[in-house]
Amino acid sequence: MQRHEVTLTVNGRTSTVSVEPRKLLVDVLREDLGLSGAHIGCEHGVCGTCTVLRDGRSIRSCTTFAVQVDGAEIRTVEGLADGAELHPLQDEFWDKQGLQCGFCTPGMLMRACEIVEQKPDVSREEVREGIASNLCRCTGYQFITDAVCAAAARMHSGSSETSGAQA
Amino acid sequence: MKPPPFQYAAPTSVAEAVELLAAHADDDARTLAGGQSLVPLMNFRLAQPGYLVDLGRIEELTRIRTDGDTLVIGAMVRQSDAEHAPEVALRAPLLAEALGYVAHPPVRNSGTVGGSIAHADPAAELPAVALALDAELVVVGPQGTRTVRAADFFVGPFATAIEAGEILTEVRFPRRDGGQSFVEFARTHGNFALVGVASVIETDGATIARASIAMSGVAPVPVRATAAEETLAGSAPDDASIRAAVDAAVAGLSPSGDAHGSAETRTDIARSYLRRGIELALTRAQDRR
Amino acid sequence: MTTTDRPAAPPVRTHKEDRTWVGRSIRRVEDPKFLRGRGGYIGDMTVPGMLYAAVLRSPHAHAVIAGIDVVEALAAPGVHAVITGEQAAELCDPLPDFGPNPAAHTWRCLAVDKVRYVGEGVAVVVADSRYLAEDALALIEVEYEPLPAVVDPERALEDGAPLVHDDLGSNCAYERTFDFGDVERDFAEADVIVTDRLRWHRSGGQPLETVGAVADFDHATGALTVHTNSLSFTSYLFMVAGTMKIPANKLDIRPVPAGGSFGSKLFATKPAVIAGMCSRQVGRPVQYLEDRVDNMSNCDHHGSDRVYDVRLAVMRDGTIRGVDIDTVEDYGAYIQFGVGHHGNALAQVVGPYAMTSVRYRVRAALTNKNQQGAYRGFGSEVNNWMLEQMVDKAARELDLDPVELRRRNFIREFPHFIPTGNVYDSGDYDAVLDKALELSEYKRWRIEQAKAREEGRCIGIGLITAQERSVFSATEFWFWFDEPGAPVTSMPESVTLKVDATGGITATLYSCAFWGNSPETMVAQLVAEEFDCDPHDVSIVYQGSKNGLPATGPGGSRTTVMLAGAVEGATAKIKAKALRAAAHLLEANPDDLEWVDGGYQVKGVPEQRKSLADIAVMLHLFKHSFPEDMESGLEDSKVFDHPYTTMPSADRTDLGVFYPFMGHACHVPVVEVDLETGSVSFLAYAAVHDCGTLVNPRSLAGHIVGGTAQGIGTALYEEFVYDDDGQLLTSSFLDYLIPSAMEVPELRIAHHETPSPYTLHGIKGGGEGGRMMAPAAINVAVNDALAHLGVRVTELPITPDRLRAAIRAAESARGRE
Repeated sequence: MQRHEVTLTVNGRTSTVSVEPRKLLVDVLREDLGLSGAHIGCEHGVCGTCTVLRDGRSIRSCTTFAVQVDGAEIRTVEGLADGAELHPLQDEFWDKQGLQCGFCTPGMLMRACEIVEQKPDVSREEVREGIASNLCRCTGYQFITDAVCAAAARMHSGSSETSGAQA
Repeated sequence: MKPPPFQYAAPTSVAEAVELLAAHADDDARTLAGGQSLVPLMNFRLAQPGYLVDLGRIEELTRIRTDGDTLVIGAMVRQSDAEHAPEVALRAPLLAEALGYVAHPPVRNSGTVGGSIAHADPAAELPAVALALDAELVVVGPQGTRTVRAADFFVGPFATAIEAGEILTEVRFPRRDGGQSFVEFARTHGNFALVGVASVIETDGATIARASIAMSGVAPVPVRATAAEETLAGSAPDDASIRAAVDAAVAGLSPSGDAHGSAETRTDIARSYLRRGIELALTRAQDRR
Repeated sequence: MTTTDRPAAPPVRTHKEDRTWVGRSIRRVEDPKFLRGRGGYIGDMTVPGMLYAAVLRSPHAHAVIAGIDVVEALAAPGVHAVITGEQAAELCDPLPDFGPNPAAHTWRCLAVDKVRYVGEGVAVVVADSRYLAEDALALIEVEYEPLPAVVDPERALEDGAPLVHDDLGSNCAYERTFDFGDVERDFAEADVIVTDRLRWHRSGGQPLETVGAVADFDHATGALTVHTNSLSFTSYLFMVAGTMKIPANKLDIRPVPAGGSFGSKLFATKPAVIAGMCSRQVGRPVQYLEDRVDNMSNCDHHGSDRVYDVRLAVMRDGTIRGVDIDTVEDYGAYIQFGVGHHGNALAQVVGPYAMTSVRYRVRAALTNKNQQGAYRGFGSEVNNWMLEQMVDKAARELDLDPVELRRRNFIREFPHFIPTGNVYDSGDYDAVLDKALELSEYKRWRIEQAKAREEGRCIGIGLITAQERSVFSATEFWFWFDEPGAPVTSMPESVTLKVDATGGITATLYSCAFWGNSPETMVAQLVAEEFDCDPHDVSIVYQGSKNGLPATGPGGSRTTVMLAGAVEGATAKIKAKALRAAAHLLEANPDDLEWVDGGYQVKGVPEQRKSLADIAVMLHLFKHSFPEDMESGLEDSKVFDHPYTTMPSADRTDLGVFYPFMGHACHVPVVEVDLETGSVSFLAYAAVHDCGTLVNPRSLAGHIVGGTAQGIGTALYEEFVYDDDGQLLTSSFLDYLIPSAMEVPELRIAHHETPSPYTLHGIKGGGEGGRMMAPAAINVAVNDALAHLGVRVTELPITPDRLRAAIRAAESARGRE
């Protein structure tokens, strides 16, 4: 089968991989680039566990062929934290228990990242509608909403403090 | 759920794309737009094209422009770009509103306006919008360029007037005055609609001058609610007119049922959403005046 | 029931009052790896040389397999093996099965001779990648001879219905009627008998991660190592070795975190067996990970699917005397857990109400559908729904206030034995109800409801009060039979605690690693409570089955209580040794020492003290400082058996105690029904739960919200729809509708704490409560919204289609009047 060279800049690092055109972006990230944060949940574009950012905008990496995004900038959950320091979204998800099994979390974080970057003063209602793109089977979304709102407020105000430290 | 193998090319011009489709016709060559319908179908192995011509690198198809009074949207304009484009808000607010119902932002960030229209899902939003706005679909093929009216474009479920070897390049929305609205009923947020209604209503003083209404989800193709349009034209913008229009439209419907709604329930919902859509468009028409 | 001789209850405990860590919403210790996308799920695991398996699914609901041709598939690029059902039956014995008669409804990892539901596996391909494996699946030619399918459970029980299992000679896998208490008297004396027919359709856990396994069979040693995201019932994994036809001591099943389960990964042995069989066949590690369609159509864990005919015996003053339940359950094509789902129902069959008799007839129908397994509630949620609909109907028929009718019947003295023999250990249902009325602003909503009705809007308030059983004991799987095949009484849980030479504590767990609950956080908090350390400093590891202690894993809301018991037991052993060591080091009498702030000190002389670290370093490195009989190290384990199980009576008029730690909740959703479309939306939702003493309130609140979201799915959206031919119409997330953030309202949550007298700290389980309450409450709310129109919905999920049909029927009935 014909293979194609695909160059991706993932979390700031540029790589070229040789893949079959049918290979899905999520599989290239997970298998060829060793970034298993984007998960496979439904493989038909509904659940959102595979969500990553392409040139700053969220996409489903399970309904995207890697060849389609040749040359793109991709951000995944692995690029959120700065070394030991968690991104405010990650920190607030932890603080508010915005996760239980953790499987939707990487996709949810990347979608949330797009939401708060597009609109720093996002409202709670907008967060809810925004994250409706991604399914979570554990949390019922309430504490995810809490976490995204808290992170947005923190990022907006430039504060590095956790909004409601519990531990 | 992995897609079957295929050959792939990403041309940078329409001409090149048309050539590739012709050259690989024997491989069941198909175009790939945003992929938000096609790739899931391939993951389910319900579609198995042998050759994909990716239109994603064709710059000329990604533009939104105006041509006199006509809004011209390149087939490869991402749905989220069209949704937020000021020209669209100004000239075809119906389209902008409908785009907000197309799945979810991550899908709209990849999905394209042309891709959705060419896919012709009978439950989808954009075909109904094209129909309501009397859009023209520009198609390029080996024989050159032709323009198809929306009314002639949707020929069956997932079937359009695009012939083998042709590519949808532009969607042209003529200017429409009046109030516009898109409403739909889906069981969950962002899921496929059971019924969608695209309405454009122009008023003239105390009467409705003209109404264009298209519906999705109630037939194998998006349909114009002609009976409702005719009932509304020339009548007073009041509840009685709307009721009469809705009754007229519903009388002509015979939707088929599925796991999400029997024919009867779909008809009930169509009745409700026709009224909501017309009311909203009418209110907006009156607000504009 | 006073005549029944009951074994003594466990001793009543005195609970520690000044708790430091138990009761605090600490950040979960599990979370950092998930937040960084390094969860280590089964799909993340790669092993050198690993191959990938994919299963060919049956497109037919019922068909004879006349032939399978795999020649082309075997020759396809990258293919290492193709195994058909017939070959698999030679390689493996039937799968572990707790059903009534496994010899007559035999269940295997791949179908042999005939397929019994759409999605059942008929062959498996092993290839270099999942892509290539799926390519080869398309090349397998199966010759099917279709048979008529049976899809409706009541039709399945009729004479002449197509047989799902010819060997069984019937589609009725189990039938029995139980009488508890004096049913005849209660119904004879009742003023009113409320009757109804209710239908609960099947949904399922549908975790976002499917079930999978990575198996590696070593032909040199004959050992099979399987990593999997399903490792509950650890104590029963010898049965998997039996299926694989290898000695149990050659099987090691190792847990990896599960991306959700909700019961559906409880004992999912099929993927592990398929991976193991493939690995043994090709001599390389093999990953088998279901895709979404596999999981929806072939996961063996669809949820309950019941038809009820119910009678409720009620006095005019609202006193409920008894309930007569006749239920047919559609189990699908196999029945792996028997009718244990009805054991769950019987644990709390009377709800929080002091009725005195229960008749329970259960018939288990086999049909051409994917079989049932576990889904959050395990059948008790269905009973809650049924009972609350009946109580609500009784209130309407007697023209009594539904809140007061419930309150009138509350059980108020504990421990309370219900007619089936199970015990409710403790509770305060009035307090929960009062709190819920306040939290939900119930009175205000009644006023709003009346106002809205004048405007033609249909608002409904759905108050329900129901039970939340926790900590199952295995008798509920076998007391159905007079001569059970394999009775077991305890489902233990084990913990090993190790204090290293620096005083650092590591806890080893032996059941399912993690499936979204918080075993690590719970254990860390419990250990911290015992040892006065920071829970985030406690290290948690998981052991595989081979080197494991007896364990059961999550299920039946048992993890926290059982782990607490194990932690307490292991702690006691460690502290006893540490005390003796400290006494020796301090040259003091052990009786003169007390545990204070992480160490032992002489009572009244705080400077005479050895911290745990002081003691640990000596015990690890300076054995000769101690008496001869003291061993080096500071590590101990506790196998904690179920603390309160009693045996059923021989005649099964009393089932004994099997689900003793009884939580309770009151849910109050406020909904608005759109009459035109039949859609239901939420205006408010309040929930008050009493799960005994709280360990991590925010974690429990998370389970309540999440469980309620699933209950909303069950009530309004989710259904595995099979058509008359047995085709599964909802086999993707496009059609099987999981609620998004826009379908789930913001919940107001409050907790009430009635400690259990029998568990450490008074903890009860609470993992399933949201889903055990929400369907009942939402149904009541919808009926409350529509009662004035003569509409009553008796079927879940309440889809627009069903609701519109009911509204149309009521409209035409009014038209006829």
